[in-house]
Amino acid sequence: MNMKRPIILLLLAPAVVLIGLLFVLPLFGVMRLSIHDGTGFSVSPILELFNSRVALVVLERTFLLAASVTAMCLLLGYPAAYFMSGLRPKVRAFVTYLILLPFWVSILIRTYTWIVILGREGIVNKGLAALGLAPVQVLYTDTAVHIGMIQILLPIVIITCLASMLDIEKDLLKAARSLGASRTQVFWKVFFPLSVSGAATGGLICFILSLGFFVTPALLGGRRSIIIANLIDLQVHQTLNWGFAAVLATALLVVTLSCLGLFWLVMRKRVEFTGAGLGR
Amino acid sequence: MRHALAAYFVLLVGFLILPLIFLVPISLSASQFLEFPPTSLSLRWYAAFFSDQSWVSAAILSFRVGIGATIISLVFGTLASIALVRGHFPGKGLLTALFIAPLILPTVVLALALYIVFLRWQLVDNVLALTLAHAIVALPYVVMIVSSSLRRFDTTIERAARVLGAGPIKAFLLVTLPYLVPSMFAAGILAFFASFDELIITLFVSGGAQTLPVRIWNDLGFKLDPTVPAVAVMLTALSIVGMGIGELIRRRNEQRYQSATPPEA
Repeated sequence: MNMKRPIILLLLAPAVVLIGLLFVLPLFGVMRLSIHDGTGFSVSPILELFNSRVALVVLERTFLLAASVTAMCLLLGYPAAYFMSGLRPKVRAFVTYLILLPFWVSILIRTYTWIVILGREGIVNKGLAALGLAPVQVLYTDTAVHIGMIQILLPIVIITCLASMLDIEKDLLKAARSLGASRTQVFWKVFFPLSVSGAATGGLICFILSLGFFVTPALLGGRRSIIIANLIDLQVHQTLNWGFAAVLATALLVVTLSCLGLFWLVMRKRVEFTGAGLGR
Repeated sequence: MRHALAAYFVLLVGFLILPLIFLVPISLSASQFLEFPPTSLSLRWYAAFFSDQSWVSAAILSFRVGIGATIISLVFGTLASIALVRGHFPGKGLLTALFIAPLILPTVVLALALYIVFLRWQLVDNVLALTLAHAIVALPYVVMIVSSSLRRFDTTIERAARVLGAGPIKAFLLVTLPYLVPSMFAAGILAFFASFDELIITLFVSGGAQTLPVRIWNDLGFKLDPTVPAVAVMLTALSIVGMGIGELIRRRNEQRYQSATPPEA
């Protein structure tokens, strides 16, 4: 259906104005603030970032946390998705519903529940005490942060992995079997290579989202668990150092955009790959 | 092997829904402290929510902002989706990416960015500005859901209406819009909860005004308020009801359009 240019513009105008004024413009403002010291352009805010031990430590921690959470989500999620891909469609729909159920509970509330479960007087420790065991300190450690973040991100990874597994042509697996491959060989030589792109996509989304986490590290982690989003919050609300907050935010933005760029490259390659496969 | 995988899967699903399972019994505890299992049951924390002015006004603000953000994002997003799906113009991909970007970019970056411009424009502590900021977060859901639904729509039905004498606007309003209603409803629910759940932006730009998440957040810094589980259960019930209605509407619509459109050859 052909639409005239003025009508297209009219339809787009409200959303474009909204996103332009309250998304694009503010983001450019933050980036500008990170290369501007109030009087003119300068690199001093960026130098401040590289001279600040706290910032570097927190940046490194953010990376390591995102990487380890992503790795664990993939390790836990891939087998789960594999199991789901073998279920009958009706059962699979029900199980998918169960896995997506937590999405309907606010992240804040879910984090709160972990405090109740893992706290010193929490459910886990009461259970241990009932068994005559010593209490464990999980809350306010990195372990608690991992548990909280994995509970939030795992469904996303499972669903992304599952989507690519369901795309796999079942005949390919049968063909490999009939040509004499063992079950293990079929998995590693056919199924795994075809599902790895979905796992990569899920992992990248998980990694990008992990980088920006705020609530979970703040509530479940100790003082040594704060990551970059918490540091930005501290700079704004406690130290009142917006310039530095802007540099940190820009760093986070640049890292996120780089990951998205990588994601785009991977996806483009994948489309070419499958496209070529279908063509033959 | 298969059994081991199944057992593992059950454990994993258990882990994912664990926090939800504990929520209801905790919220029904009569004790002043959080305990599990509760020694005696009562609805006192539900009552506490409704008798505490700060909780009630936080809920009211959340609903106001949420409903406003839903309407804005739904109208703006649906209009934009029509142009994105049906129009041909340069920069379409970039624009789509821009509409979806708020979902992927770290919220804290946007929160800081909005805080800085709101300070300059003197919009901190302004409910309308907060609503517009929430609309930004809600917009991706609307654009994704409505445009994918619009892409699946069989345009021959709309063309038939045109042939039968309806003008382009009339044909759209009478034929395409009814088809879009269920997906708009689903998008609206997601948009509402995106706003209703939003914490970080609100924390930065609301200038002390409390929505429900901010109210919960402010509490968590000091103590574990037993009112929170009660609030959580009510919120979860609300979202499940909303989802249920959305699903019902979607099914009814599906039947209608399936019987109306002959299966393609």
